[in-house]
Amino acid sequence: MKRAFPTASGWPPLPVMGAALAVIVLLAAAAPLADVRPIHLLVSLGRLGAFLANFLVTPEWSYVGHVLEKLLETVEMAFLGTLIAAVLSLPIGILAARNASPHPAISHALRGLLTLVRSLPELMWALVFVSAVGLGPLPGVVALGFVTVGFLGKFLAESIEAVPDRAVEGVQAHGANRMQVRFFALLPNAWPDFIAVLFYVFDHNVRAATILGLVGAGGLGYDMTMAMRLFRYERLILIVLAIYLAVTILDRLSDRLRARVI
Amino acid sequence: MALATNNSSNKAADAPAITIAGLEKRFANGVEALRGVDLTIEPGSFVAILGPSGAGKSTLLRCINGLETPSRGSVAVRGLAVEKGNLRAIRTEVAMVFQSFNLVGRLNVMANILCGRLGKRSTLGSLLYLMRPEDRTIAEHALARVGLTERAWERADRLSGGQQQRVGIARALAQEPVIMLADEPVASLDPATSEEILDLLREIQERDGITMVVSLHQVEYARRYADRVIGLNDGRIVYDGGVAGLTDDVLAAIYHRSGNDDEAGLSDR
Repeated sequence: MKRAFPTASGWPPLPVMGAALAVIVLLAAAAPLADVRPIHLLVSLGRLGAFLANFLVTPEWSYVGHVLEKLLETVEMAFLGTLIAAVLSLPIGILAARNASPHPAISHALRGLLTLVRSLPELMWALVFVSAVGLGPLPGVVALGFVTVGFLGKFLAESIEAVPDRAVEGVQAHGANRMQVRFFALLPNAWPDFIAVLFYVFDHNVRAATILGLVGAGGLGYDMTMAMRLFRYERLILIVLAIYLAVTILDRLSDRLRARVI
Repeated sequence: MALATNNSSNKAADAPAITIAGLEKRFANGVEALRGVDLTIEPGSFVAILGPSGAGKSTLLRCINGLETPSRGSVAVRGLAVEKGNLRAIRTEVAMVFQSFNLVGRLNVMANILCGRLGKRSTLGSLLYLMRPEDRTIAEHALARVGLTERAWERADRLSGGQQQRVGIARALAQEPVIMLADEPVASLDPATSEEILDLLREIQERDGITMVVSLHQVEYARRYADRVIGLNDGRIVYDGGVAGLTDDVLAAIYHRSGNDDEAGLSDR
């Protein structure tokens, strides 16, 4: 029996074929630009192995205390940055949502601002704030908060826009004013998604916080770069393990909490 | 339950519940939903609106509480014109029950019913979802009347369709309205549940003296529950009278379809 796709012609849909073709063409064009050389990768495997062999050392156990202390600082940075961003993104998200904003111009302007904030990575913002407020965890927290507002504000605005008009109408028809519609129809329906994504963002921020130390913005990242530059593998392995453990534990924890909220 | 607080003037008490004159509604997409409707509804009556899909039943109801703005003509509720400036005043007197319930699914039943009180409270007065004890009492009474007291703390979207519609009615009741509009309240419910809902609406109309305007798809229900039937076809009133007058000829006129018209392209509006 001849097999056919469930379309009128029996061929795959034209957009799908077009998209596949476009991906192949783009790949062929991009490989030389990005200097992708598969052979070179294969040859380099030996050196990668040699580098990984460096980790076969006895960890410097007396260093554990310091690592844990710095790890705590890293997680705290992520926690603070996420919390501050969550609080700030509430009004911003409402004002940026087309169906909750007092004026379309406000939502447009805020959307643009949020994109701008989001377009630079945490590391860049950390650099900016380190030069503004000096070294330490504070610029790290501010940088994390900045980027997170950019993300959460946009996300909240979008989940508010996705609230069905029916719920809004149901509340409106009973004489609720615009503010009451926001609190009683829009936010309750947007809440659960927002909280779910909050856990995800916290997760992401813990990982982002570990790298901010690179530019002196606090956390475990500073010790990690130093250990790498000075070839202190007996310390590096402890740092890497600590990050891995922290991220795994938080991941499990946030999964459980998220399941409860939704 | 107490009736709506009667703080309106005598003029409001004497005036018909709803006065509609020359009402026309043309949507942005060019669809003409209403083509000149004149209608007066007396206080305390149970009026059924019949008509095929796209006849303008929903649009007519939605014009009464200002969810749609008329293109031409006027609507007045107890002598007060339905206009942008006094929408809130109108909506605290006119409650609405929807075909798809229009509850806030993620709020619990009690919170949904308390939404019926919002029109009478300021933003500050409902801040952080803190509601007054008297509102809570009113909501509890409303919930008891629709027989859902034991489901008060469940999320609204966990209830069955019939139960959600009861919550919708309780929300309307909590508003202590003078008029209740029901836009195909039983269109998404099974026959047994439909009758329970309509019994409830009829009981509310009789006991509280609330004017009930209900759009329906089933002629049978209109015959059983209504005092007066308005037949709409293609945006015009083609029948207005008692239940007894619903002869086969009248029904044919109400449900007549003019093939060349745009009503097929109309949704439920």
